[in-house]
Amino acid sequence: MGKQVVIVGAGAGGASVAAEAKRQDPSLEIVMVEERSQVSVAA
Amino acid sequence: MPYYIGDVIKDEKRLIARTPEKFRETGIDVRIDTRVEEIDPKARRVHLAGGETLPYDILVLGTGTKPILPGIPGEEREGVFTLKKLSDALRIKAWLKNVPCRKVIIVGAGFIGMEMSDVIRGLGIETQVFHRGTLPVNRWDPEFSKTVLAELERHQVGFVTGVEVRAVEEGKQYRLRLVTNRGEDEADMILIAVGIRPETELARRMGLPLGKNGAIRVNFSQRTPEEGVYAVGDCAESFHRVSRDWVNIPLGDIANKQGRVAGRNIGGGSAVFPGIVGSQCFKVFDLEVAATGLTEREAADSGFRPVSTLIWGNSIAGSMPGNKKLGLKLVADRATGKLLGAQAVGGAGAVSRINTLACALWSELTLDDLGWLDLAYSPPVASAWDPIHVAAQQLRRQI
Repeated sequence: MGKQVVIVGAGAGGASVAAEAKRQDPSLEIVMVEERSQVSVAA
Repeated sequence: MPYYIGDVIKDEKRLIARTPEKFRETGIDVRIDTRVEEIDPKARRVHLAGGETLPYDILVLGTGTKPILPGIPGEEREGVFTLKKLSDALRIKAWLKNVPCRKVIIVGAGFIGMEMSDVIRGLGIETQVFHRGTLPVNRWDPEFSKTVLAELERHQVGFVTGVEVRAVEEGKQYRLRLVTNRGEDEADMILIAVGIRPETELARRMGLPLGKNGAIRVNFSQRTPEEGVYAVGDCAESFHRVSRDWVNIPLGDIANKQGRVAGRNIGGGSAVFPGIVGSQCFKVFDLEVAATGLTEREAADSGFRPVSTLIWGNSIAGSMPGNKKLGLKLVADRATGKLLGAQAVGGAGAVSRINTLACALWSELTLDDLGWLDLAYSPPVASAWDPIHVAAQQLRRQI
């Protein structure tokens, strides 16, 4: 099993981390946690 | 989001860069409507509301900002809004339409206050801005703030100064009544836009060090001092390349870049975030307002000996119809002649000048470099002596 990555917050920062990390290493197990109903919103 | 509220952007889906479904297709597990209760850095576990626990090898904090509220009675009333989340934008847009709103009061005269006064007035609604100080957007020189104020007035946006808000009550003629030190005013909606601060409650409880602005301290690879823990975006600090200090400037473009750097490092690559020079801009009606680098005060606080000049130049050839004056202020260091900061205001072209000057700050150009810089010239779109040349040569003569 790949490394476990937890990202708290799925705004511009967190969503960019998730996309880039997965692109670099597809074996990563990434969970992104967001308290709102939307992710990756342009302000 | 202001442009969605103003119906310039019709569909809220256009604001979403990537949906949870898109993330899931790439194998990323996205949990929305899920709050993190606690993070245990020793056990490396994230505790979610509802009891579930997520173990981690690597943790990333991208917790963003929270709006500052004045803390007055009635601020939780229906019809009083802040603008931070997409859900706020959806609620504001519905409220404006369904009430329907005849008058809106905006408390605060920063970026959000200016953009929102533009879009709400654009919907044909009576709009007033209530401000604590005397001029809008205090990041800019008074001469430029006065230009912003004139633009608000030209579009019939009321601007009320020296305001301290005291309470929000139920209104008689309109939905709400705002009580201030200057009396009582009614409106169908009140938008509170007095600022934001980094959301760092989880970081603080984990024991992560915070900087002087309350943002999470990170290094150039976005790592915090805690092994395996990264922080990115509005909740984190950035290195300011001009002041050589760590600062917090909450803007989405910086968040994107820091996120990409952290992601690359987490994925086994190697990347550094080279910092910022403090570039920022907004548009209010027909005016572009932009700045980069340091103000004179910030420059003096950072140990420089600032000198400055402010000029009104031609954004395109002065002989061409449609030429509008462009205000440009440059701040430089007396000792080295290097540029330290710039501000610009104008009908069009203010942002492009500031972007050029951001490159100058990034690569530490001097006024002599800027005074002779080879910029593109053609009468309908540019001036032979650009305001950048004029201001740089003028300031050079003062040193």
